[in-house]
Amino acid sequence: MNSFQILATILQGLTILLVAPFSVGLVRFTKARLQGRRGASPFLPYYTILTLLKKEMVISKSTSWVFRAVPFVVLASTIALAFILPLVFSGGALAFASDFLVVAAFMIVGSIFLVLGGLDSASAFGGMGSSREMTLASLIEPTVILIFGALAFVTGSFQLDGMFAQSLIFSAPHLIILMIAFVLVSLAENARYPVDNPATHLELTMVHEAMILEYSGRYLALLEYASAIKLAAFSILIANFVFPPVTIFSLSVGGGILAILLAILKVSMVAVLLGWLEMTIVKMRFYRMPEYLSLAFFTAFFGMMVAVYVKLTGPDIKYYTVFAAMSVFFVVLLFGRLRLKSILRYYAASSLMIAGIAYSLALMAPEEQTHLLIFAVVTIAVKVLLVPYVIKIMEKQQRHTANLQSFLRPASSYLLAALLLVFVFFIVQKTPIFALVEWSSLLFASVGLLVLGLATMIVHRNVFSQIIGLLVVENGIAIFTLVTVKSLPLIIEMGVFTVTALTALILSLLGSRIKYFYGSVDTEELRNLTE
Amino acid sequence: MNILFIFGLFSLAVILAVVQKNEKIIRLSAGAVSIASALTIWLFVSPQFFGTEVLITEWFYLDRFGALIASLIALLSLSATIVSVRYIGHEFKDGEVKINDLKLYFTLLPLFVMAMFLVVVTNNTLIMWLALEATTLSSTFLVGLYRKRSSLEAAWKYIIICSTGITLGLIGILLLGYTSQAGADQSVSFLISDLLKNTSALSPELVKWAFVFIFVGFGAKVGFAPIHTWLPDAHSKAPSPISALFSGILLNVALYAIIRFQMIANQAIGGSEWTGKFFLFFGILSVVLPAFMLLVQRNYKRMLAYSSIEHMGLIALGLALPPIGVMAAVIHMIGHSIIKSGLFFGAGEILLRYKTTDTTKVGGLLKYAPYTSSLFLIGIIFIVAMPPSILFVSEFTLFSAMIKAHLYLSIAVFIALGVIAFGMLRTTIGMILEKANTTDLNETREHWNITHSVMLVHIIAVILLGVWFTSSSGTGFVVDIIKNLS
Repeated sequence: MNSFQILATILQGLTILLVAPFSVGLVRFTKARLQGRRGASPFLPYYTILTLLKKEMVISKSTSWVFRAVPFVVLASTIALAFILPLVFSGGALAFASDFLVVAAFMIVGSIFLVLGGLDSASAFGGMGSSREMTLASLIEPTVILIFGALAFVTGSFQLDGMFAQSLIFSAPHLIILMIAFVLVSLAENARYPVDNPATHLELTMVHEAMILEYSGRYLALLEYASAIKLAAFSILIANFVFPPVTIFSLSVGGGILAILLAILKVSMVAVLLGWLEMTIVKMRFYRMPEYLSLAFFTAFFGMMVAVYVKLTGPDIKYYTVFAAMSVFFVVLLFGRLRLKSILRYYAASSLMIAGIAYSLALMAPEEQTHLLIFAVVTIAVKVLLVPYVIKIMEKQQRHTANLQSFLRPASSYLLAALLLVFVFFIVQKTPIFALVEWSSLLFASVGLLVLGLATMIVHRNVFSQIIGLLVVENGIAIFTLVTVKSLPLIIEMGVFTVTALTALILSLLGSRIKYFYGSVDTEELRNLTE
Repeated sequence: MNILFIFGLFSLAVILAVVQKNEKIIRLSAGAVSIASALTIWLFVSPQFFGTEVLITEWFYLDRFGALIASLIALLSLSATIVSVRYIGHEFKDGEVKINDLKLYFTLLPLFVMAMFLVVVTNNTLIMWLALEATTLSSTFLVGLYRKRSSLEAAWKYIIICSTGITLGLIGILLLGYTSQAGADQSVSFLISDLLKNTSALSPELVKWAFVFIFVGFGAKVGFAPIHTWLPDAHSKAPSPISALFSGILLNVALYAIIRFQMIANQAIGGSEWTGKFFLFFGILSVVLPAFMLLVQRNYKRMLAYSSIEHMGLIALGLALPPIGVMAAVIHMIGHSIIKSGLFFGAGEILLRYKTTDTTKVGGLLKYAPYTSSLFLIGIIFIVAMPPSILFVSEFTLFSAMIKAHLYLSIAVFIALGVIAFGMLRTTIGMILEKANTTDLNETREHWNITHSVMLVHIIAVILLGVWFTSSSGTGFVVDIIKNLS
């Protein structure tokens, strides 16, 4: 430990502490602007905190010393995070403490005291918030462990400092799945949309704001400040997945200033994105939380499987593998969703990934290049744009908006999807074709899509999901074409696309009529002809 | 006869149906064009039909078997269009179909027939796949023509099951093409003729996988037993001429596709035992399962549909037992096509008169509709394979091969056939002789109409063919067909 490292750690801590209120202000500012309001200055939180510090405190007589200790413990735990995490610099003096279990412990100490603070005043709101916070925490925790466990496995380091020392996404693109999972849990951990509403104390569904309802004056300032620090730290950590922090050994005065500026830039960037996100989505009802967090868990699980597979089979990871994994991943998401809009969105995303596969294969095989590029372009035109559009239009013709019916709840759907994929993974290796194909990852993806598509048709007992299931099967076959014969004659290829588009059109026309005549799209109703 | 000319005629039929406004002109022009197109189809295939030469070009693969199926397409599409002219006109007068539905019907019908024709003549397996998928897509709204709940349900099941099946079949075709690449000249070929030529280069292991996908996928469209669920629904809810086309020819066309791949698979694996097992298994199921359904059937169109499953099962059994069985299968295919389509035309007449498909509500047919009822009864007697039916010839041949190979299975099939014959005859005789059970009965005496003529032609054709196939020239004709198949 040399003096440079100590200096860098102190600098980083101070930077985060200074920047934190700005990050909160910037999110609110961006959101206001995007919603067409003028919004308060992004620097308002500084004044808020200073004002609160001057105000008198009101503390209930029924509280104990716990209530008074909470703000200090919470603030101390987040300040500790600001110092030990690899945010501005990596390889600082406290890098040894950034073992992911230690970091998780710091976070959980803060949460537990916050919960105790909510309970201590014995008000109804505080108790409710605490109960919810513990529910969420128990759901978030395994996901966090999975993400960092997988990262530790890939990078060979248990410390966050070591994990983020290199650029994760650029060196191993498949880790983007873990990053997505991390974004999902970060939103929950920081009490942002869609898990919690940070803007109000009044909503019945609030979590974080309910726990700190009894605090006022200086204590409230400390708690607000603590959550701002946490937000800033997580923002930079997410950005660090893509752009790693500056390593300490290359430090000069200019480099140090540059690193700090870079960190501020990262905070601003993530805050603006967060503001945009909060503008586009709404808060979920609390009882849908398990759905959201099981999604996060499954994403992390899937990312871990991919990461482990890649790590074990060889370091040479190609872009088409990433695209293939993503196309399966989007179908898994589709599998658990019950709203047509999100199902169509995931189908389009999965198809886009197939176009990506064709594009990355085109870069590798020059003799088939034009053909594969045409394939990619037509895939985007037909499967990403045309087909979802047609289905949406047809569905809209008959007004009847409810969730689509399914035999399984979302969480169990994800579990089933994971089991099916594991099953596919082992079965495909046994088939004779496995030994012959050049790109085995594409074969996995193709069979995976096939099986998931068929499962969608069976598990989702509604007309529109069955249409999408069939289209997913066709996507699986499209990948199968790429992996076996690489390209079909152009006229046949166009014929297949026409068939896909026509199938979607006819099926959704039929679905629309079924909706009109039955008043629902539940396929359980389509059981009259059995005599 | 140039193929473009045939497609031109079909396009003409489609265009006429789209642009015309008057329903009568639409119907009559559709009928006129379909006569012409049936003739041209037949002229196109006649060199192969009468000769033993196999036509192989980049686009076409047509042997005598293909020519036979194409001729059946020509014959049945002609009959079905003529019957449609009357049937759909009647439905239009009753207000069951609106003018737009009528236009849709006569637009889709030529497309449907064209797609089936393409399946049979093409040399490219991928075009075959596209055409087979096109038969599903073009006929979905023929099944769901009536804007009623039950029609929509039938159409939905039909397209979902068949599309999924055929989509899975594509995997098999791709695998076949891929394994052909592993051969000597490293180029992917999807032509049937090339695949047949290079069977020694195909990897037997992969060909087996491919055949499983193709058999199960296309088998859904043939209506083999565990995946037959769409078939009774679609047949009972479609307009009767469409049911006739489905049962008479669409199932055979799908089976034709399977048989083509079976030829390739047999040569690649070296023997027909492996593929034969599939036909045997699904054949037995398809014969035995309908026997139970037919005993309790109270809907005469569904009764005919289950009978189609049974006959597809019998054909599959024949295909499992080369060479005698294959001969029986070919004769059975011809006979079943012609008789079953005639029966569906008759069922359409009954439906027009009684407005119900419930057998308990239909009664006194002999009194109110003597022509329909007597022709229908003759058809039923023929379909349960009583002599002088052509099906008697084929089933006799089939059993002569089967008893030797699988004694116990033959007995089971025999019992099932007995049950089926009993069930169908009981239901039919009930409909013909019992008193009518409805209040709003149409008591006008029926006149001889065009549908009766068509049915009569079918019945006479079947009797003549039955006699001919027992003669040596007829047997020689079938022997020539199966020479190419094994």
